[in-house]
Amino acid sequence: MKRTVGIGVLLSRSGMYAALSRASRDGVFRGVEEVNADPSLDVSFRVNERDPEGRLDRYAPLCREILRDSGARHIFGCITSASRKEVIPELERFDGILWYPVPYEGFEASERVAYMHACPNQHLLPLLDWALPTLGTRAYLVGSNYIWGWEMAQIAREKIAVAEGQILGDRYLPMGDTELDHIIHDIRTLKPSFILNSLVGDSSYAFLARLTELKRETEFADDVAVLSCNFTECEIDAAGEAAEGLVSAGPWFEPDGGSGGSFHEMARQSVHELAQLLHGRPGAEELPLAELLHTALRSGRATRLDPVHLHARQPAIIARLESGRFNEIKRLPVTRADPYLTQRSQPVHTGSRLKVVS
Amino acid sequence: MTRIRTENLGGAKAWILHRPHPSVQGLVRQLGVIGLDVREAWPELPSEAIAADFIFYDADTGHDEQFPWAPGQSPMPMIALIGSEAPGRLRWAMEMGAHAQLLKPMSDKGVYAALLVARSNFDRANASGALIADLQSRLSARQTIVRAVMIFVMKGKTEAEAYDLLRQTAMAWRVTIEIAAERLVANYSNEKGLDDGRRIDPA
Repeated sequence: MKRTVGIGVLLSRSGMYAALSRASRDGVFRGVEEVNADPSLDVSFRVNERDPEGRLDRYAPLCREILRDSGARHIFGCITSASRKEVIPELERFDGILWYPVPYEGFEASERVAYMHACPNQHLLPLLDWALPTLGTRAYLVGSNYIWGWEMAQIAREKIAVAEGQILGDRYLPMGDTELDHIIHDIRTLKPSFILNSLVGDSSYAFLARLTELKRETEFADDVAVLSCNFTECEIDAAGEAAEGLVSAGPWFEPDGGSGGSFHEMARQSVHELAQLLHGRPGAEELPLAELLHTALRSGRATRLDPVHLHARQPAIIARLESGRFNEIKRLPVTRADPYLTQRSQPVHTGSRLKVVS
Repeated sequence: MTRIRTENLGGAKAWILHRPHPSVQGLVRQLGVIGLDVREAWPELPSEAIAADFIFYDADTGHDEQFPWAPGQSPMPMIALIGSEAPGRLRWAMEMGAHAQLLKPMSDKGVYAALLVARSNFDRANASGALIADLQSRLSARQTIVRAVMIFVMKGKTEAEAYDLLRQTAMAWRVTIEIAAERLVANYSNEKGLDDGRRIDPA
């Protein structure tokens, strides 16, 4: 007999990054379906959902509503770092836990957030480790004008400086902005070896489209590679042909042409992670997250989250979009997260070696 | 993977000078997450704390004798842990040399920012201190330079010639103009006495 635990979902079904949040949302619901149908788990989930519609100021009140009115304590949601930072005070006030299944820029370790995707030592640094010797060291950085774009550029700048590369320019666009003339002009003039694209949503699709036009110009014969740590399968439709050739880094890519990508998969896995942690432990949903993990580890269960900083260990996979599918270029073993970039990155499985898949 | 050293905090040593209290655990946890090596002490900092990279200290019940250095003379950035925002306590915390602060109860919030702000303020204070010491010593050397120039003037040089001669002397001796002036003045005072071979005949 399963016991029912209420969970919250706080993901936008409309707005500028709806493609991402829909993938995440579908992943949560898929996970819930699977958990509820699994007779080997003694827990099932009941979803309390709120839709922030991609509007930043709606996240905190809706998070509070879930925590206070529905009694659910574990919330799956948020896409942007800005929205995550909006809800953390509510989680503190009403004793909630956020399962955050998308990539982010690091430099945070709230006791109330399960960071279930990847942070820079699991996406950006491996990507640049591959890109600098492969593509060249003349980099151009472009990103959305908020913390994700800024911090990705900051880390890239430091990494590229260490490799004695060159930053030819960095530009930021307001969320949703598609005014790209100055950026395209820069790229036409500077001809970088690669572009790190940390634009989100519509800005990113518009950028990729303009870049495709630029590449058709005869004087711009050299190809220029576009790298991203936030572009996944769930945006291929929105970006269209223009995204072809893009190289992305993440913990997971669709093996069979699926369209959810790691946004879908990590959301789905987050639901399973919680179900595993609660299985056979009535009332465990009320525990602080660190305690939930520590007690699980002590009883011999495996957890994906680190009980100290609450970030998931993940492999780093680098893949190129070719004919509408991501093909793996390189795969690094499962690595512990290093949210403040102060530890040495150590693979979790000491036996596994770096694999190059062509 | 090549390592980048964002803010160089990995393995840095932090001491927390605070009586044992549950809220200290929040700070210990967060410092550990950030990658620092954390030690706790109460009621006094041991002398080995002098090698620390950061000190967190209780502003509510702290006093001067807890530290192995004079107020304001810490050889590392100091972060005050403030509970009571009373003027007397705040004054003491500032006199001890707070480079940043955290409000109690300590949690996972503000710790990384406090580390970076404290180190930036500490570095800036050190740089200003070094500049001030340098300027002070140059200021006190000015009088000696004037006296050295006067020695040449008394021997018939114009002021411009005398200053130029002093400059050439410093270059010949490979010392600063201040040190050359000091030696010339000392030699002149002992003119009839020792001759260390560095006297210049101004004639």
